[in-house]
Amino acid sequence: MTTLAAINASLRGDNALALRPADQVMNLERLGALHQSRLSFMRALVRRIMRERWQIETRRFDLDEQGYGTVIYQVQAPHGLFNFVIFSDYLSDEERNDRVIATKWDLTMALVDGEVDDIYLEKLRQNVPKQEAGRVDSRVFVLSRANRSARNFNYVVDQLAQGEQPDISKIAEVGYLYRTTAVYGSGKLGMADWDKVQSRYTDFARPFAAEMFVCLMLRNFSLTQAEHIAKHKSPESYQPMQDEIKRYFGIGNSTGLGMAPYLVNHPHLINQWVEMRELALARVRALGQIDMRIRIRFQQLIDRCSQHTEQTVTEDAWQTDNNQLVLNDLKALQQQVEENFSDWNELIQWSEANCSVQGQEMLVSIMLELYPELVEDLDDYQAAEEFLDLDPLMPVQALKAVIEDRYRWALDIDFGAEGSREIFWYRSEEKMEPRLGHSACDHGKEKQMALGVGYAVRKCYDQLSEYVQLHPEHTTARFMVARPKLRGIVRRIQSMNRCIYGDIQANLLDRDILPMHLLRAKLAFFGVSKFDPKSKLWVRNTMFQGAPLLEDIGKPFNDDWFMPLAPTTENNH
Amino acid sequence: MKISMNELKAALRRCYEASGYFVGNYEDAANMILWLEKHGLDGLEELKRALPFITADRDKPLSKVVYEDSTSAIIDSNGRSALNCIAASVDLAHAKALESGIATVTVHNCHNRKFILKALTDCGRRGISVAAYWRNGSQSVTEHTAAIKAGERYPSYAEAITNLKAGADDKQALTIICSSRVDLTTSLQQSPGNHHVQYVSAQQVEQNKEHSIDSGIEIDEDLWAEINSIGTGVLVENSDQSRMGAG
Repeated sequence: MTTLAAINASLRGDNALALRPADQVMNLERLGALHQSRLSFMRALVRRIMRERWQIETRRFDLDEQGYGTVIYQVQAPHGLFNFVIFSDYLSDEERNDRVIATKWDLTMALVDGEVDDIYLEKLRQNVPKQEAGRVDSRVFVLSRANRSARNFNYVVDQLAQGEQPDISKIAEVGYLYRTTAVYGSGKLGMADWDKVQSRYTDFARPFAAEMFVCLMLRNFSLTQAEHIAKHKSPESYQPMQDEIKRYFGIGNSTGLGMAPYLVNHPHLINQWVEMRELALARVRALGQIDMRIRIRFQQLIDRCSQHTEQTVTEDAWQTDNNQLVLNDLKALQQQVEENFSDWNELIQWSEANCSVQGQEMLVSIMLELYPELVEDLDDYQAAEEFLDLDPLMPVQALKAVIEDRYRWALDIDFGAEGSREIFWYRSEEKMEPRLGHSACDHGKEKQMALGVGYAVRKCYDQLSEYVQLHPEHTTARFMVARPKLRGIVRRIQSMNRCIYGDIQANLLDRDILPMHLLRAKLAFFGVSKFDPKSKLWVRNTMFQGAPLLEDIGKPFNDDWFMPLAPTTENNH
Repeated sequence: MKISMNELKAALRRCYEASGYFVGNYEDAANMILWLEKHGLDGLEELKRALPFITADRDKPLSKVVYEDSTSAIIDSNGRSALNCIAASVDLAHAKALESGIATVTVHNCHNRKFILKALTDCGRRGISVAAYWRNGSQSVTEHTAAIKAGERYPSYAEAITNLKAGADDKQALTIICSSRVDLTTSLQQSPGNHHVQYVSAQQVEQNKEHSIDSGIEIDEDLWAEINSIGTGVLVENSDQSRMGAG
């Protein structure tokens, strides 16, 4: 077990470890090249469930032969009792829509504190299927919905009904039966606030742990439901799915622009996630001993990552190119390791000189995988207090120097150049959906969200420079009375200056901005895989592929579902 | 109806953003209102009084420092709501206290002064002790005080109805005392004529917050609808062209 003091001593001061610099790590393209790792939230959650042997039982199973009805799972975790409630309703193919603006779904679900009696279940039934149009109370702390991957679902049901197993190659193409299209927590729609989840529900007191848990439970339900329907369809010939194949099913996810404002509006949290990942890397670089066991495992993981990438199917040309680059990088890495490898720092330097950014970050994820003892204790430190505090005593000259030092990337952007402020981000009146507009052809720029941090810094710096000329002796507090409109950005600059990594270094207003990088960064921290962009604005991906099944809880567990591979079974060569 | 703290904060942010508050300030305003309400100090009642004037500050001059020395300052807020100017006044007191040990800032022409409690709490959390005193009302005068010790997370608050006559000088005025060396605590004296004296200890403020965390916030449906209705001003009309930018 580590402590906060030990972490701080490793991050700052005389005994700090050598961390990668902020201008390298916070570059948006690099953040958009991150992969899942041992520190990803899904991995941390599954470790906790498996090591603490959570008891998860089906308390109610009211599904008809078609799989419609209600199911309740009771979850006994070390610090509390919870119930996971799923409503399964008929949805026609025409009504199935993954967008935020949809109003009906195949499945809707809620994670609830404590027991669920019939009266409370009815209350949930009246509201959960309506999602945004319903209201719940503060016993509920996650609300979600999912749509069937219709083709895959029907295929799997048919196979099982006929006593056959699903073809692995088909699952490799689409590795799930359902896609979540939104997972709500943190007080939305009347639910418990994060303050409550963090302070009252110890079992879920880490960022997005409860949301990830709902997706894991959904994945389990999807397999159970498919088997249930198949069994009723043809009781004589039905065969259950083999566990190996079940584990290869994850849960699909569609993520759109909503995640992008989240990243900009929670800079402390993102900084914390990056700090923990970079600290883990620095620990491995400094302390990770390279012996024969590590060498063998390293080669196995490089090979596994290659196969996983080869098995990633996407129609998107950009992602296909990226995947090919990673494959090339892994091949070169394999060769480098065979020929000349004795030091992690040298290997990192080699990768920075010879690999794509995606390949470099794949190496980082593999390194974290090799040393659980140097990495895993950091997953208790992914939360952050999010106070954007002003430092009122800071002299204005010092404030100017902070901007020149920490926001050089923003000052280097020419905001007068064509296209540098062409994009604006706004909320549509349609369910307040975040959208991207182009100044030339879209309305609503005057209502844009304040996501242009770089541009705001530039404007602040220009006004501050003038002010410093006039009042070089003033404090920030005095500057704020004179220029109150800059209070938000000054507070952010000073707060991020107290962080090691600080703000994402990108101009989100630029014509060529790729929101995909923002989505991918957050999803990588969650721990998803199989990125499949559908445009530059939304991406499909797979969660929990390779993770243990609920039936595996209590059995031996070695936490080795990183970059999962298609199983090889007797019927599936 | 019950809403979560996060819902209230998000709706208030939209509401104040739509009303012309600038970036950073609409978050402050939302946080100040939410802070009072979740700590049991009637933030939504204060909001009801402030809402009719929500756009009134757009055309008013910004706050101005009219006097300043090393331990004190006088600020004229030009009739603005505390929601968009009081935090800067507390920051100035904070900076002067750090330099001089103790400092006083007097603010004139400032409405909705109870919202200062969030700013005081931020100071306490950051190791500075602060006290504030103000009077309210032109017919029946009430007096109010709040204080927080250095390093604490919760302030105390007291208010009373007095038999004082409203003076022109103290109308919409507020005094802030801030210290990096002395722990300040305040309570209203048992002055003759004071009645309905209410004292909320820091411990009670904390308990109120715990209740809000467990149960959420109770809000009048009409007020909730009004906040949300004003907030629709930040939303952009839907169109086929607009849908092209959806992810």
